[in-house]
Amino acid sequence: MSKVQHDRTHHAKKATGIGDPQCFKGEAGPAKFKIGDRVRIKDLPDLFYTRCQVYTRGAVGVVAAVVYESPAAEDEAWDNTDKSEWFYSVKFRQHELWSDYPAVYANDTLETEFSERWLEKA
Amino acid sequence: MSSPDRQALKRHLDLVGQLQPAYHQPNHAPFPDEIDHARYRALLRSPHDVGGEPDVPIPWEEKEEEQWELNTFATCECLAWRGVWTAEERRRRHNVDLGQTQYLSLPYYGRWLLGAARILVDKQCVTLTELVNKIDEVKKRYEQSSTR
Repeated sequence: MSKVQHDRTHHAKKATGIGDPQCFKGEAGPAKFKIGDRVRIKDLPDLFYTRCQVYTRGAVGVVAAVVYESPAAEDEAWDNTDKSEWFYSVKFRQHELWSDYPAVYANDTLETEFSERWLEKA
Repeated sequence: MSSPDRQALKRHLDLVGQLQPAYHQPNHAPFPDEIDHARYRALLRSPHDVGGEPDVPIPWEEKEEEQWELNTFATCECLAWRGVWTAEERRRRHNVDLGQTQYLSLPYYGRWLLGAARILVDKQCVTLTELVNKIDEVKKRYEQSSTR
């Protein structure tokens, strides 16, 4: 019989007393984008798992906050936590996301988070 | 797609909406040439990523947590504390790996409980044989003590 050996407490040890994602601070290197940058959401393959909502793909928004460093969801979902990247909060005009959004609510916005891999300069 | 096509994206969301169980699109045992890129993408999409898909409103109702739901939550937190899964792996299993029908059809904490049992088997903390035997034992014990 063969058993995969899992290190069952590494994440708890790393995060205890610090918190998650604070325990990944300093691991991602310099952030590629800053507050106010216009970014387009990339359309990477949707295979198995992501938290990048499909309705945002190809849409252009503005970086509202550079929020934290953490392994990307696509990695962390299989317990791969060695590589961290920056996460950004991006604000979109609702009309950019939904072409039939009523023009009378032109100032409505939607803000949501992305890891850096999903963003490109717009 | 390096330059995303927003129109194609809208068509994708419409197609995913139509793959909801209620629409009954014929999709049993297709031949390979019946799966084009758009249909492949729709079939591979994560069940929890429902934003923008056509659907009917769900009524909002307040509901207190039941005891088994609180127990389930505590169990899943302990599994994280002991390093069996990270929160993101838990979410993947509860929201995506179960598949469309179970994601939409099971109660919220039902998905948590099923996911907890599944990861204990997947990561070899228990064997499926042990789990099935225990469920069988508890079922029999419950039947004996139940008045119904």
